Amino acid sequence: MSSQHPLPNTQQPSDVYGGDEVSALVLDAGYCHTRAGFAGEDVPKSVLPSFYGSLKTGDGDAATYRDIFGDECLIPRADFEVKNYMSRAESIVEDWDAATKMWEHVLIKRLQPEKPTPPSKNGLNDPVPDGEGDVAMDDVEDQEKPLAESPLLMTEAPWNTGKAREKVIEIAMESWGCPAFWLSRTPVLAAFAAGKASALVIDVGGANTSVTAIHDGMVLKRSIQKSPVGGLWLSGQIRSMWDNNDPKIDIVPSYMVENKTPVDAGAPAQAKLRKFPYEISQSFRTYEEERLVTEFKESVVEVWRGPGRYSNPGNEDIVRSQPGRVFEMPNGSNQMWREQRFRVSEGMWDETAALPAAESITKAQTIPELIKAAVNAVDVDLRPNLLGNIVITGGTSLLNGFGDRLNNELMAMYPGMKIKIHAPGLTTERRFSAWLGGSILASLGTFHQMWISRKEYEENGAGIVEKRCK
Amino acid sequence: MASHDVRDVLNLPHDGAARPAKKLKTNVPRPSLKGLAREVQNLGGDNPIAIVPEISSFKKRRFGSRKPAARWELRPFRNSARDDQSLHLRHWRKQTEDQARTQESQSGENGAEQESKSEQLDDSTFAKFNVQVDIPQYSDDQYNSNLISRYWTKDETDYLFGLVRDFDLRWPLIWDRYEYKPKPPEQARNGEGAGSMDPRTAVMPAGRPRSLEDLKSRYYEVAAKMMVVQKPVQYMTQPEFQLHEMMANFNPVAETQRKKFASDAMSRSREEAQEEELLLIEVRRILARQERLNQERRELYHRLDYPQTEQDISAFKSSAGLATLLQNLMNVDKTKKRKSLMEANGVNTPASAHPSDRLGHPNSTPISENRRESIAASSTGHRDSIGGSERPERPAKKGPQPAPKKLSEQEEHIYGVVHHDRLPSGPTFRYERINKILTTKSNAQHQRITNTLAELDIPSRLNMPTRAVVEEMEKLLASIGVLLDTRKLSDKLDAEIKLEKAKKAEREKTMAPAQTGKAAESAKVNGDAKKDGVNGTHSTNGDSTSAATAEKTNGDVPATNGSTNGETNGNSDTTANGDGAAPGDKGVRPGSSSNNRKRSVSVLSGISDKSSKRQKK
Ligand SMILES: Nc1ncnc2c1ncn2[C@@H]1O[C@H](COP(=O)(O)OP(=O)(O)O)[C@@H](O)[C@H]1O
Ligand SMILES: [Mg+2]
Repeated sequence: MSSQHPLPNTQQPSDVYGGDEVSALVLDAGYCHTRAGFAGEDVPKSVLPSFYGSLKTGDGDAATYRDIFGDECLIPRADFEVKNYMSRAESIVEDWDAATKMWEHVLIKRLQPEKPTPPSKNGLNDPVPDGEGDVAMDDVEDQEKPLAESPLLMTEAPWNTGKAREKVIEIAMESWGCPAFWLSRTPVLAAFAAGKASALVIDVGGANTSVTAIHDGMVLKRSIQKSPVGGLWLSGQIRSMWDNNDPKIDIVPSYMVENKTPVDAGAPAQAKLRKFPYEISQSFRTYEEERLVTEFKESVVEVWRGPGRYSNPGNEDIVRSQPGRVFEMPNGSNQMWREQRFRVSEGMWDETAALPAAESITKAQTIPELIKAAVNAVDVDLRPNLLGNIVITGGTSLLNGFGDRLNNELMAMYPGMKIKIHAPGLTTERRFSAWLGGSILASLGTFHQMWISRKEYEENGAGIVEKRCK
Repeated sequence: MASHDVRDVLNLPHDGAARPAKKLKTNVPRPSLKGLAREVQNLGGDNPIAIVPEISSFKKRRFGSRKPAARWELRPFRNSARDDQSLHLRHWRKQTEDQARTQESQSGENGAEQESKSEQLDDSTFAKFNVQVDIPQYSDDQYNSNLISRYWTKDETDYLFGLVRDFDLRWPLIWDRYEYKPKPPEQARNGEGAGSMDPRTAVMPAGRPRSLEDLKSRYYEVAAKMMVVQKPVQYMTQPEFQLHEMMANFNPVAETQRKKFASDAMSRSREEAQEEELLLIEVRRILARQERLNQERRELYHRLDYPQTEQDISAFKSSAGLATLLQNLMNVDKTKKRKSLMEANGVNTPASAHPSDRLGHPNSTPISENRRESIAASSTGHRDSIGGSERPERPAKKGPQPAPKKLSEQEEHIYGVVHHDRLPSGPTFRYERINKILTTKSNAQHQRITNTLAELDIPSRLNMPTRAVVEEMEKLLASIGVLLDTRKLSDKLDAEIKLEKAKKAEREKTMAPAQTGKAAESAKVNGDAKKDGVNGTHSTNGDSTSAATAEKTNGDVPATNGSTNGETNGNSDTTANGDGAAPGDKGVRPGSSSNNRKRSVSVLSGISDKSSKRQKK
């Protein structure tokens, strides 16, 4: 009888895709976002801004700081600073204490199921400290190691330093007690997410843009190119444009606006601003402004698709004749954007078109030059294959027209070569592709022989990460 | 809440709007209820009869065959591909019965079981995919005796091999990560300078920059040499040898050049690329045209040329083989006549392919010979030729068999082509033909013939029975036969003459007259006997002369004239005979003996003629 009614859900998971889930965790830390989730899933369970809040209690020398993590706790507060644990220039960890706490927060607090804790410790009986936000777990140490069950795969920038890598494995093994650990570079994982073992990965992220050649699942170190031309740089361009706009546009983030009345395009805003009984720190304001700018990027900014540069004669006239886009600021002021929305992003491709901003860039930092440099740094025999397998990833690559422009630039640079760009259409895939690649990798049956096990770490020390995660 | 209120809430118009939708619904075919006559159903009109069918199967299945839910467990497993076997990851697997039981029994026991448990763990099914690349290794001694290089230190070679192992021979990665820093000189490390110099700030001698080709050529050099050390070239299997050759012949210069070309090709401009594309198309067109031209030319040649056989012709060298060939060709001819229309373009037909089918086999010999040769060559070291000349070309497909060409007289002679009217069936030996002539004779005659041959110094069994020799031998034997016959006859006549003489003497004693009539009678008898016994042409000569002499002389005293005449005649005949046989025999016997024999033959025939003349008298 039972053979006539096979129940599909009780069958062994099929190994068709080579998967073998071992409930591993995957953590991808970027300058803008930190993403964490379970291997084998297609989106990270938890995506937090890499910015965190630092609350000050007490005054002067007696002041103590408490870090709070999560988007929902980045709100106007007294004595509150917003910080980032990553370095702006490198997209690698700068503040290790904050990084550890941040990661613990995402990996343990957000991903792990709540374990029953004794009532004395479960916090229910304590006086409620603040009511909002998540509190960093100070008492991680005296618990049983929190990640003793889960292998952990983490990502890093391809130019990460050896010291930083050793530090990471130390934290994972010593503080969290991971049974197994692996460190992989973001472009490699982005290539995996695109289903490629060899690719030229163009990652246009938050703080940096990087171009890296991947061969057989490994980074070709000589090809790594890095430039500050990323999301934040583009934000700088937008600010510069707003500053020089006529009329000058004041950046008023949403949190400052209590109410607004609609006004005509170009008319001055009519809004009532909120008053706070305490001082709002500049860092918080900048963070909030960045949110606004990102919104503008997402909805207005576009990349001139080519062929040729935007500054070529005639192009701007074409754009002017086309319908523009209206953007309404949180305070109600609004304006139509036409040619400007192309001009802001042009600096990524053509350094002469970049608007004057705090960060000026050189020719070598533009995306086409990065690609050229990266391709020239690999063996000739690999180049055709790389150009036929270009993967674009990173949040800023979601700009409208980015892929088309890139294709046009490449065609102009390498005429007669076959150029194929892999650009996932799903925004999640583009934003999380490094995480996704990690998720795929960590759930592969063949990957399990790669993990650095606890024993190996104990025998060889932190240096093993350099030897194994090449 | 009435529908009116709902509309109000949803801000819908108060009438219409929703109605048409309802009406539409009626058009939708109603689910037909089983077990209810159509007429009955139609009674309901637009409003279907509200009968809820009883579906029992759903419930039945749900509760009827219920099995306890499968148990799943988080089961640890090991991975034998790992260096470190202590890592036991866990995955969800369906629990089997016995495992559930063992777990229950084990749950009460302590950790002593733990050790043995790790042995029982399943291995990961993916462990088998872990393949290792085989990287040659060398000892210090081997390095010093074989691998020392002017450009590479042992240290750097070690470093290279380490990288090769780490990156499983993926050259782009090896080159990418190649960062060899030569060790600081000895004295700097342990000498007096060590104190003053921080080893990190000390100036390191910079390693020479290595191109990918440098790395490859060093690796291949070492790998090839180590291969030879492990197994000398002559014992290598074919793939091993090929690998060795490939590695030993790695040419970094050519590689570099090729890469330069490749990078040039990449960095050309759009116009150049387009131009090149056009040129390529042009080249392709030219090549195609050339191909067509060649094809046409080949066809033309086929029509003009005599058959160029690619096959072994040894099968046709014997007369039997030739006969079959002729048979085949005649068949082809016949079929050709029959379907000359179809044949017009000379396409392969079964008949024309026939001879080449038969010839397919002899090819095996040349191959094996070739192989033996190549094996012999391999031991001396160069086996490069193998690839090219391994197989004698076998016609890829059987082309149209060209029509046979008529041979001229001379060619026929050269190729030994003979036309027979009839052939005995089956193969025969030529000397058998000679033997047959001998064995058909009576024993005494056989004896006599062999005696005669012995007299002539000719072996009764031919050493070299070529066609010509056999023919001459046949003629000789025929002559001998004639000779023997003639001798027999002459002996008989001699005896008769003797008898007659004795009678005559007796009669003379009694009565002397009537001499002439008797002599004429005897001459007549003589002529008759001649006509009976002789069929060879050469003896007719002697016959006529002797007849003439008999007529002329008509006397009892033999004329010396006639006898000499006969002798010269016979002599010239037999000489001609001997000459004919000479070319065949010359190869076997020394020339002098053949001369002797010739002489002896002529002498003999002279003698025999003389004796025959003597008879006549
Ligand atoms: N749709 C979008 N259009 C343009 N820029 C975007 C879009 N979505 C996100 N971004 C930008 O992408 C950046 C974040 O990219 P991300 O790849 O997450 O960075 P990181 O990996 O460094 O954390 C931010 O600067 C953000 O402004
Ligand atoms: Mg990133």
